[in-house]
This record gives sequence, structure tokens and C-alpha cells, in this order.
Amino acid sequence: MPRADSCQSRSLYIPRDATILSVTELTSREKLFRLRLSDGSELKHLPGQFIQLSILGYGEAPISVASPPTRQGYFELGIRRVGSLTTAMHALKRGDKVGIRGPYGTPFDLGSMGGKDLLLISGGCGLAPMRSLIQYAADRKSEFGRVTILYGARSPDQLLFREDLDKWETISGFACSYTVDSREGDGCYSGSTGLITDLIRPIELSPAETEAVIVGPPAMYTPVIAALKEKGLSSQQISLSLERQMRCGVGKCGHCSIEHLYCCQDGPVFRLNVIEHLHGAL
Amino acid sequence: MKRLTQDELLQFLKSWETCYDLRVPILLPDGGRAICRLADGPLAMHGGSVPAKPTSLFFPQDGLVFAAGANGYLERVDTEKRLFIIGLTPTDLQCLRFIDRFFSTGERDDLYFASRDKAIIAVVSGYCGRDGEFIPPSSGSCDLELYHDGIDWLLMPYSDEGRELAASFNAGDEVVSLESVHGKAVHPPSAEQEVVLAAAAILQETELPDAFWDEIGEHCIQCSGCNLTCPTCTCFGVQDWCYGEHTERRRVWDSCQLAGFMREAGGHNPLATAGQRSRRRIHHKLVADMSRWGEIGCFVCGRCDLACPTGIGIIAVSREIVTRFGMPDDNSKRD
Amino acid sequence: MQRALTVCPYCGTGCMLHLVSDSGRLVGVEPSATHPVNRGSLCIKGWNAFAFVAHPERLTRPLIRKNGALVPAGWDEALERVVTGIRAVQGTSGKDSVMFAASAKATNEENFLLMKLARRVFGTNNIDHCARLCHSSTVTGLVQMFGSGAMTNSIDCFDKSDLIFVIGSNTTEQHPLIGTRIMNAVRRGTKLIVADNRCIRLSRHADLHLRHKNGSDVPLLSAMMQTIVSEGLADTEFISARTENYGALVESLAGWSPEMAASITGLAAEEIVQAARMFAGARSAMIVYAMGITQHSHGVDNVRCCANLAMLTGNIGRPGTGVNPLRGQNNVQGACDMGALPDMYSGYQRAADPDVRSKFALAWGGEPLPDTPGLPLTLAMNAAHSGSIRAMFIMGENPILSDPDQGHARAALERLDLLVVQDIFLTETARMADVVLPAACYAEKDGTFTSTERRVQLLRKACDPPGDARPDWQIIAALAKSAGYSGMEYNGTAEIMEEISRLSPIYGGISHDRLTPYGLQWPCPDHNHPGTPILHVKGFSRGVGRFMPVAYRGPAEIPDKEYPLTLTTGRTYFHWHTGSMTRRSHLLEREEREGFVEVNPADAGRINLRDGESVVVSSRRGKVFVRARLTEIVPEGVLFMPFHFAENAANALTNNVLDQESHIPEFKICAVRMERVP
Repeated sequence: MPRADSCQSRSLYIPRDATILSVTELTSREKLFRLRLSDGSELKHLPGQFIQLSILGYGEAPISVASPPTRQGYFELGIRRVGSLTTAMHALKRGDKVGIRGPYGTPFDLGSMGGKDLLLISGGCGLAPMRSLIQYAADRKSEFGRVTILYGARSPDQLLFREDLDKWETISGFACSYTVDSREGDGCYSGSTGLITDLIRPIELSPAETEAVIVGPPAMYTPVIAALKEKGLSSQQISLSLERQMRCGVGKCGHCSIEHLYCCQDGPVFRLNVIEHLHGAL
Repeated sequence: MKRLTQDELLQFLKSWETCYDLRVPILLPDGGRAICRLADGPLAMHGGSVPAKPTSLFFPQDGLVFAAGANGYLERVDTEKRLFIIGLTPTDLQCLRFIDRFFSTGERDDLYFASRDKAIIAVVSGYCGRDGEFIPPSSGSCDLELYHDGIDWLLMPYSDEGRELAASFNAGDEVVSLESVHGKAVHPPSAEQEVVLAAAAILQETELPDAFWDEIGEHCIQCSGCNLTCPTCTCFGVQDWCYGEHTERRRVWDSCQLAGFMREAGGHNPLATAGQRSRRRIHHKLVADMSRWGEIGCFVCGRCDLACPTGIGIIAVSREIVTRFGMPDDNSKRD
Repeated sequence: MQRALTVCPYCGTGCMLHLVSDSGRLVGVEPSATHPVNRGSLCIKGWNAFAFVAHPERLTRPLIRKNGALVPAGWDEALERVVTGIRAVQGTSGKDSVMFAASAKATNEENFLLMKLARRVFGTNNIDHCARLCHSSTVTGLVQMFGSGAMTNSIDCFDKSDLIFVIGSNTTEQHPLIGTRIMNAVRRGTKLIVADNRCIRLSRHADLHLRHKNGSDVPLLSAMMQTIVSEGLADTEFISARTENYGALVESLAGWSPEMAASITGLAAEEIVQAARMFAGARSAMIVYAMGITQHSHGVDNVRCCANLAMLTGNIGRPGTGVNPLRGQNNVQGACDMGALPDMYSGYQRAADPDVRSKFALAWGGEPLPDTPGLPLTLAMNAAHSGSIRAMFIMGENPILSDPDQGHARAALERLDLLVVQDIFLTETARMADVVLPAACYAEKDGTFTSTERRVQLLRKACDPPGDARPDWQIIAALAKSAGYSGMEYNGTAEIMEEISRLSPIYGGISHDRLTPYGLQWPCPDHNHPGTPILHVKGFSRGVGRFMPVAYRGPAEIPDKEYPLTLTTGRTYFHWHTGSMTRRSHLLEREEREGFVEVNPADAGRINLRDGESVVVSSRRGKVFVRARLTEIVPEGVLFMPFHFAENAANALTNNVLDQESHIPEFKICAVRMERVP
């Protein structure tokens, strides 16, 4: 029987094998998977890109890479259990193999972020892709100005990467704060409560020197954008990563189109000025 | 260029059956037509475009992406013989060119091109449309053209391969050129083409009220027929089927007219209403494709209007748009 | 890529399509571009009709229960087990202790053979099928009044009508291509009245939408008729020339003033008067109905009212008129036609008639055929529950999901000594079987289906059945042979149709070679007959049409303090019945992955329920967890649930109370309560 290797070069749609190195439970429904491509090569992604995760029998789903390319030998995926594929993924353990296609998509514009202050705002599981950028910035601190991380989740038990959040706060030049909509279900939670926009208001920034990034659930974009504009940021200074149901990752399946753009190729990271006037983008 | 009688044409076709995977328009038992093998039914060259979209020859409604067994992915078995397709119209050819570019831009879709790349295409034109209607000849971007002059078929080769195929067939009288038969006729756009172009111009300039799209959406029963017959629609979904240890990943045509098309796992749906989906269907062809590819994605083949059970195909909707939102002097502007 | 012209396996509209195959595997569908019914279109189910065929869960080998588990077996062993099992039950409990359920999904030829197997080989009239659950009220009512229980007119008539009156049919969802005919007719100026208390799609296109209370069809229709009579709008010429018993009708209508009906239906009296005037004023008016009329404990009375209204206004026997029950399944009309009914042989020849029995006996080898009356399916389930039915042979039905009161149905099947299920997937019912016989699906065989407009159409094999699965007709023939009967050996389905046409006058002129391309509409008595698009043109099938007075009875279970809401059940556009095919079709399942209950926001507000939250809906018979959809589609006080979903089975709640004449269950109304899931 011919082996996979012989046709990997042939089809765009055949995934590469990756091995699970470790699994960490983040919340009751989110896990962080650390993986390595089975042939030992690096994923060679950039922050903001995603991969198509494939499990035979369950199909594929787009998953943002949650780790930076600066950390070699592995890549990480934060995965929420929502459908049959992600449920199957949650059942996998260290040593199990999955399929990976990609990385795909337009990453964060690291070039124009260079030397700038970064205001990184995420909500819910949007912190997973943002983490790739945050860790990248932490690893190459000299390339960026101040880094401010704001994060909101629905409740304390749904906060992702709490250890990371606490760690980021201690990095010099970094500021990190998070909030929850309601402290329901966790009496011990001592952090702040309120909307993500409440965290934006007190921030002081120099608009000309700032690049803002938003990654979150669809409902978050409009109020956060309004708050940033109040702070004097222009649409060109705001990037966001959009979630769509990409089936192919390569601009063919049509599921992620936003007018003339394909989220999987032209995005998922867009400058706000590119999409704000497009019907159905936000 | 050769002149072939109907009998000689059949001879010509049969002579290639052994070397190629020959596909020709045939008559189906219900009186319809489809591009199939010669053995599947009587040859039916007359009648214009077949209902199935041209890309379905390379990219079926449900097709294999890959198969995997216990020991890994299985190699794709490509058909031995090259496809030799007869019976697309010049309009179909335009659609095919559009989709060839779509599938080759960026990452090249190897599944589509596995059979498309090697396919030989012969279009039909002349007096062989629906009810004998005239089909204007192609611009020649295919291997061969079969032009019906009302009696015989004129076989015109365009590509090197087409020339070889034509030359190696011994029967048939030589003719000088198509122009000698057909004249240098100019073919003005049809009324349908006019109206779709006019609607495109309106949509590119103005955003129509949501109420208009809601009204169209109210007539959409989500049959998906418009997308499934559209030669420039290629959206697909993916499903895995496991037969014991043998797994097949297949891709299946999808439709943006279905509420689940863009619904995300978390429940958010950028195309939540029938009105939004109707807007997307028309806008994608007439506005978005223009922005992305520099031309509209509708070649006015009429398939969606035929397939739509409630009369809201792109030509019908374009008529509504032009009637309701067109400027009175629209005609003069476009000249 | 090859194409096989065949008939859609879903609803009764009878759309034809080409199954596209490549190297023996189905790869798609194309609508028939020329077919007079679907004219180049299909609905979403039709476009996906290929999608379940090669599903990995298809049954590929016979299964026999051994030590409690279903294990693969050979055909000989499985057939032997079925035959000896049935014989053993009959030996101890009598011939009529076994029940055969035929299938509205199987072909005419197959239903005819199962009928023959039951009556000739196993000597019982206990054969029925799911028409009992959908249109038995229609057959009972219309046969008495018109002489024929079928849709009187043709689908083409929707294009020729001045007024279409849709009552109890969610046409765009259940018969989508008929629904679109109605939508298109409205756009061309045809008037539309929709009587349905849900805001279905058609109601948004209607000139008049009557949201009468569930179960109040008799008052609504009676008051419309009373208005027509009292305002002198009746077609007296038609009544005197073509009908009888008019006096009795008029007498029965006496009390039905619009105000009286308004008080029961919840409508305004003016709406009823308006509907009556519109209907009577149209030159040609069609009545279209489906389960909303039939699935009541007074279903036959509802049907009678429809037929009375049509005769009263002379709307019978002309294009664009008629009483048009839309048959649900692709071949439910055919299964009835084939005599898969406890009281009828094929062609509606009465089993109680000794001449009919001797005609069939003579054709089938001489032995006398059973003369004890057979059991309707619903009564057979009750009999299984009480122990007098000991064995059941079920072909292509899934009563665990489709029958009322799931707990009752499950208990009934559990009590059997022998349950045989012949199907294409291991359905919820097949899981309980002692023997499972793997069948070919529609795409893998030849034969005929008869659509709602009595159109007998040819299906053509597009691919091979998986594994050892066989077409139902071959399985039945093999069973007959295994039981020692030699009169069921056929070289093909065309031969079976020859036998059907010899024995059944309404199919007398039907043979496979006459059915290309678009079939024939019965009655088609001889080989030169062109078929009959419209029934009762000159005379009624029974001679004159008979008016039948109706007395109003309310639903069997009405809301009370404990169960304060009305539950009505039905179907959705994307799924088909118990979902065994559609839930295994990628796109259809993607569109609707789980059950739901429609809740009016006012009712939701009372329990502080938000859209998308889960509720428990419970009735006296069971409870179901299901996600709530807050919508104005349903009026206050009414919940709607589709019955497709095993995980949220609406029929765990429904009431197994039967119409006394047709034995149809009251699927459309039961009393429930709804609570938030804590």
C-alpha cells in the first residue's frame, strides 16, 4: 500500500501528521494542545495565522496557532469543545496523531507594529491567537514599545491562560489586565468585573505611536472599536482577526467570504479600514 | 478547418473513443440532455448548453478529496485516459475560464486540475442552440470548435492539439475559414446580458435597501438550485466517511443560500436572514467578483433562472433591480 | 459520469431527477429539466437525494439476534429464521397473530408482493402501512363521498386555479415544489387563503390567513358552508346534477353561524364570512390539505367538511378545482393502491368481497384467501401491547419514532415473540428486531412509485446495493420461496407490474414500458388509455357525490391546569420523517442538527425562557428535553415540535387516541407543560 509521503506533495488537501506532545486543561471546555510536526520540521507560521486541524472521520476545522514561531520545536493550539471534531480532539492524549494543513492566512502586520506601542485586546477564546502575538512580543521585546494586554471573559472559570496572564503582567514594559462579565460560579475570584471596554477607558496612550489589535467574539468588535476611536486611534491603526467557518483555508470553499475578500487568505487579520465598510464583516 | 456531415461527425467522435475518455451531449430518457459517454445515449448536439454546470465534469457534486487506510493516505488514482469534452458552449467556456483562474490563483486546487489540466475541450456554436437558436462562435480559447451552419458541422481547430485531432481525421471537406461561412458578424449582447450588466452597474454604485433583499429572500425556499447549477459557483463543504479502517474525505457542493452555510460553531451567523443570503448571492457575482477579478461572475447562462422554482434567478432579480432602481436614462449611459 | 432517471425518494410530489454516478458510486443529482411536475427544479432534499446512499452505516448483511445481540448471518439462515418464526407464532396463536407493515418508501411492486406474502403465503389480512398515520382519514372520507380516496386533481391545476385554499398543509416545507407552484400562482394573481394557526411561509403570501385554534377545522368549514348556503352562493346546478344528500348537509349546518364558529375557532366572524365569500366567488377553487386535517381524532369529519365545501361550490371535476390531499411519502399513494391495507386488495378491491378474494385466489394458485378482517397498523400496535399480536414484519418503517406515544410503541414491540425489520439502516426500530434484513434503497433498484397526483413513475437503478443488501422485492420473493410458495418468482419488477395490472383495474393499462418518460396517472384502465389527470369529471367514481353531514367534536385532550399548553407536531423542510436518510445527508443534517420546540415569546416570558435555552416538555405519556425557539410562528398557548429527532422525540409526548373510523392517531393535538431545565 502506498504511503502518505508519496502523495503529500501531490494534494493541497492532504494534511501533514503532527504528534501531540502535551495536553493542558485550560477551562472545563478549553484545552491547550502542544504539538510537533511528525517529520520534525517547524510549522513556520507567523502570529495571527491558523492551521486546518484534521482528524480522520471528523473532518477539519480552522484553529489559530496560540504559540509564537519564536519558540521552536513545537506549536500550540487552544481548542474549545463545540462540535464533533473538537470533541474528538479533546479525547486525544499525548502521543496521538492528528493532521495539520497550513499555516494559512494573513498574519498580524509585524512590520508596521515594529517600534510601536501595542494595545492587544481580546475576549473569550480570542486570547488563543492573541497569545501567539503576545509571546512573540515578549520574546522580541526590543522590537516593540509598550505592550498593553486587555482580556475579558464571561466568568472566572472561563478565563484562559491565567498563568500566562499573571506572568505577562510581570514583564517589564508589559501591562496586563483582565475582567469578567460576572463572577458567578467562583467566589474566590478577586479580579475585576465588568466589560472589556471598562478596561480601555482608563488607559493612557499616545495615539500616533500605538497599534491596536482586537481578537474576540463578534459581539465585542463594535463597542471596542468605538472605545478605541474615542482614544484617538484611526481605523488604519486597528487590526482585528475575524472568525469564519473556513473549510479549506486556501480560498476555495467559499465559506469565509466577506464580499470580495476571503477571510482565510486576505485575513483572518484585517486592518479595520479594509473591512469596516464591507457588508457583513463585523 | 473541415466540414463534416452529421454522420461524419459521429464517425469523428467515435474515432477518438479508444484514445480519450470522450464526453458528448446525449439525449436522456426524459428528453433532457447531459454530457456523458457515447454509449450512454443518442448523440444530441443540438439544444445549447446542457443543464449541468461545465465544472461538474472536473469537480462533481460529491467528490473524493483523499482516502486513507490503516497505513496512511492512499495515492489518488487518476483516470488513465484524458477527457475529451464536446458540447460546451462559448458561454460555458467563459465560465470555465473564470473558474480555472479561481482554482489556480493562490494555492492551486490540484483536485480540480487533475482532470481539467489534461482535458481537451471542443465547444459547439452556430445554429444548434435551444430550438435551433443561434449560438455566437467562441473567441477561440479552446482546442476545437464545432460550428453548425444549419446543415453541417464546421470543425475548427484552435490549439495545437486541436489541429492534430482535426488533421488526423480523414473524412470531411476542407473549408477555408469560419468567416467565409459565417461572415464577420458582430453579436450584440442579448437582452438578458443587458439587464444583468445594468443591474451590476446599479449594485456597484448603490447599496439597495434591506427591504428589497428581504422581499427576494421571502421567495427563496432554500433549494440551493441556483448555486448548484451556477457554472461559477464552487463553494463546498467537507465530510469524512469511515468504512471500517478505510476513510474517505469528500467534498460536497454547498450553497450560500442555506442558513448553515456561514453559521459558526459558536452560533454567530454573518448570513442569518434570507434577505442577507439573497443579497450575497447576487452581490457576490455582480459586485464582489468585479472587485476581486475585474469582471462580473455571471455570464448570463440562464441556469439559475431555470433551476429556481420561484423565479428569483439572477436574470429575474436583475430585471427587478433595473425596473425599480435603474435610472430612466440608464440605457444611454451605458453606450 | 452516468445518469439514471429516477423518482425522488422523499415526498409525494413525484419530482424526477437524474442520479449521477461515476464508476458505480453516486456523485450527485440533476433535476429532470423537462418533467411536467418539477420542470428543472428540486427542493433541498431532492438536490441531496444521493447523499445518504453510500453512507457507511448502510446495512450490508442480514442480522440475527443471538444471545441478546444482533450478529451478521447469511441470507438463507435469516430467511429461514423469519419463516419458521412466523410459522411458529401462527401455530400457537393463530394466523392473525402476525402483522405485516408495508412501506410507503418501497415500490408498488414491493408493496404488492408483501401484500401477496401476507395474504397468500401467511394467510392473514393483517397488512397495513404508514398511510394509517397520515391519510387514512382521507381514504375513508373521500371513498364514501366521491368513490375514490385520492387527490382529485393534478399538480398542474395549481397553475389554473383562481383561488387556492390551503388548510392544514405546510406546503412549502413538506411538498416544496407544490408550495412553489402556489407561491408563483399568487404572484400571477391567484387568490390564496391559508388556514393554519402557525405563521407558515405560505401565510405570508396569503390574501387571507385564518389562525383558527388547533382542532377547530369543523367549525371553521361548517360556518363557511353555512355562510355560502345562507347567502345563496352555493352552486345549485352542480348540487342538483351531480350530488345527493344535500338536504342533510343543509340541516346539519343550521347552527353554524359565523359568530358561533368564531367563538370556537378564535377567529373573527368577519374573517370566516370573508373566506366563504372568496371561496364561493372564485370561478375555480382548489382545496389543499394534508396532516393538519387528517391527524385528528375527528380526522374523517375534517375530510368530509373539505369534500362538502368543494361539492357545495361545484369545485370538482374541473381544472383548478378539487379536493387535494397532498400525500406525504413518495409512494404512500402507491402503497395504498397496491392493497397494503387490511381491508383492500390492490386497486381498492374490498377484501370483504368474496368475488374479489376468489379472483385473487385464482390468480395466485387456487387456495382460498383469508376472510377474517385485517387489523389497521395502529390497532395492531395496541394488539401487540395487549398480547394478541405476537409477531411483526416491518418493511421500511420506524414506528419507534413515527408512532404516537413512544413508550407505548416501544413496549408493544418489546412484547413480541418475533420482530423482523427490513430496512436500509439500523433504525431505532431495527435495533429492537430479532432479524434485520438489509434492503437496497431507491437508487439501487427498479420499480415504480405513485405520486400524490396518482402519477405512476419509473425508478431506475443507478448503482448496486452495498454488500449483500437486496431489493425488497427480491427479499419478499425469497421469503415466499423459503415458505414453500412457488408463485412469487419474477425475472424483474416489470413482471410484477404485469400481475398488478392484470388484477387491478385502475392500473389495468400500466406497464413499465409505457412509463417513459413521465409516467401515467391512474385510473388507466387499458393499454391505450392516456391516464386521468382529473377525477370525477363527468360523474363521480361512485356515480353521484354524496354530501355527508358532520357533527363537531373537539380534540381528545385539551389543555388543563396540569398540562396548560397545546402541542402540535409536524415536520421541517430539511428532514424527512424519522431522519434515517436525511440525518445521514451532510447538508441536510448541517442545516438542522437537533430537534426544537417553537414557543411563543409570551409563553416563554412566563417562565423567563430565552431563545436557544433547553426546556423539558412533558405530557401524560412522557417527557422530552429540547431546545426552545422563541418565535411568533406559533400563537400563544401552542408549542410546535418536529418528530424527526430521536434525541428529542416529539412522539414521546403525543396522544395515541384514534379516529374511530380511520384509526388515525391524533398527532396534531395533545396537552403538555413546559419547564426550564434547571
